[in-house]
Amino acid sequence: MMRRALLPGLLGALVLAYPLLVAGFPVYQRLGALVLLSAIGASAWNLIGGYAGQVSVGHAVFFGAGAYAALAGYAQFGLPPIAGAPIGAAVAILIAAAIGVPTLRLSGHYFSMATIAVAELVRVLITNWEWVGGAQGLSGPAVPRSLLDLSFTSALPYYYIFLAVLAAILLVTWRIEKSRMGFYLRAIKDSERAARSLGVAAGRCKLVALMLSAGLTALAGALYAIMFGFVDPESGCGILISVKMLIMAALGGAGLLFGPLVGALILVPLEEISNSLLGGRGAGLTFVVYGAIIVVIARFLPSGLLALFTGPTPARRPLDTEPSHAA
Amino acid sequence: MLLDARQVTMAFGAFKAVDAASVAVNAGEVLGLIGPNGAGKSTLFNCLTGDLYPTSGTVHFEGRDVTHLAPEERARLGIARTFQVPLTFGSMSVLDNVMIGAFLRHRAAAAARASALKIIADVGLGPLAHAPAKSLGTPSRKRLEIARALACEPKVLLLDEAMAGLTPAEIRTAIDLVRQIHGQGITLVIVEHIMEVIVSLADRVVVFHQGREIARGTPDEVTRNELVIEAYLGKRHARTHKRGP
Repeated sequence: MMRRALLPGLLGALVLAYPLLVAGFPVYQRLGALVLLSAIGASAWNLIGGYAGQVSVGHAVFFGAGAYAALAGYAQFGLPPIAGAPIGAAVAILIAAAIGVPTLRLSGHYFSMATIAVAELVRVLITNWEWVGGAQGLSGPAVPRSLLDLSFTSALPYYYIFLAVLAAILLVTWRIEKSRMGFYLRAIKDSERAARSLGVAAGRCKLVALMLSAGLTALAGALYAIMFGFVDPESGCGILISVKMLIMAALGGAGLLFGPLVGALILVPLEEISNSLLGGRGAGLTFVVYGAIIVVIARFLPSGLLALFTGPTPARRPLDTEPSHAA
Repeated sequence: MLLDARQVTMAFGAFKAVDAASVAVNAGEVLGLIGPNGAGKSTLFNCLTGDLYPTSGTVHFEGRDVTHLAPEERARLGIARTFQVPLTFGSMSVLDNVMIGAFLRHRAAAAARASALKIIADVGLGPLAHAPAKSLGTPSRKRLEIARALACEPKVLLLDEAMAGLTPAEIRTAIDLVRQIHGQGITLVIVEHIMEVIVSLADRVVVFHQGREIARGTPDEVTRNELVIEAYLGKRHARTHKRGP
């Protein structure tokens, strides 16, 4: 037991101490915060996309709801951005209910395509909605008015805020995974028809998972807006946001508790390096890189990196023909 | 009457897969549905389980109209089924597969696990409880289908060609299992190709041909019925058969 607890303990201590270990390098503190922020979004996506296998490519809508709610509350009413987070989550949950009822009836790729369509539609609507800044977008408080604005120059406070939120999301996910709901979601992913024959109300389970996932994704959006103090249609509701959540979860292991975090640990540094090497010229290249990653995952790692270590190892041949019967 | 289909018609476009079929299942019996390929028995079966909603006609369960009830709601009422081609939850262990069924009556994971383990042992999959379901061969997958359905604690269990693809020896152990399930007081509806299975298990048989019922009775009666022999073997053989030895 001692040995089994050793590795997780060490990793946990490393995660907690990381910003202090790199105290002299603000760039690395910021990188750590960004990894956690991405992991929050990808973990939220994982509930519906990973566990239930309903691959949404429209989660940018929920992310945008959180980001815009945080900054619209400030821009229109002078509220601290964090006050918009619960409103954004509530809006995201309502949107999820509204789009979930018709789209969750669709299976496989049709669901994915429907979610892309919804997300693009919302992005266009936001671009033309002046109340939320239209194409210009919205900004947060330029100078923090109080601690409540959660506006810091150092990335260190963000790191710990994000860490706490991620821990809470993973705890919720873990509880679901061990419960009837978690079993039902995995069953739906494997065979919805069989699940329904065994009494699983698949439609309702998927809807609940989507709504929960949407609310948590909105939280990720609000935290993004708080840290960056800015959101526009592309950074709040662009398709790349949905795609990143999906790729991070799939790379680390969709439907695995720590899959999205592992994916974020690999992809976020990669993205930061390519951005700093290529500067502004690399904007289009990001899509190429993500496309390549999707191909590699689909071909070589359909269950994600973590599955190489923890997943159930598929047996090479059937274990038996017929169980022996002591008559 | 436990399960009662009245004048069920299932049309796909102009084609009537099932044409005004009426089948009543009494509590405690084993009812066989037989017929050659494409006779409509699987379609009727799917109308009973809610996988299909009939074009016309009704399905009643314990006197309640369930014609348009979803499969999951029928499972809750006590109708369980297996699939002809096993729909195993491939990413899970055998135990987790059965727990999905057990969760219907046991909300807590610990209770569902205990119930599932007992059923796994009952159907003879005990040693494989923690094996990945993907690793099972066909006979064990068919057994797993049955275990999962039993975990729902059904009143009636509908078996869709549960013996298809098994060797004669495997069929005999599977027949023993079905007898054992019937012994627990569960009503059974079995769709089957294999006559040996029907003859040794069913109390009553309904025979379908081209979407219509052509005969009903005890296994003995229907296997001597001229229309049935004709449907299975064709007219010429039916005549030969009649002259007999």
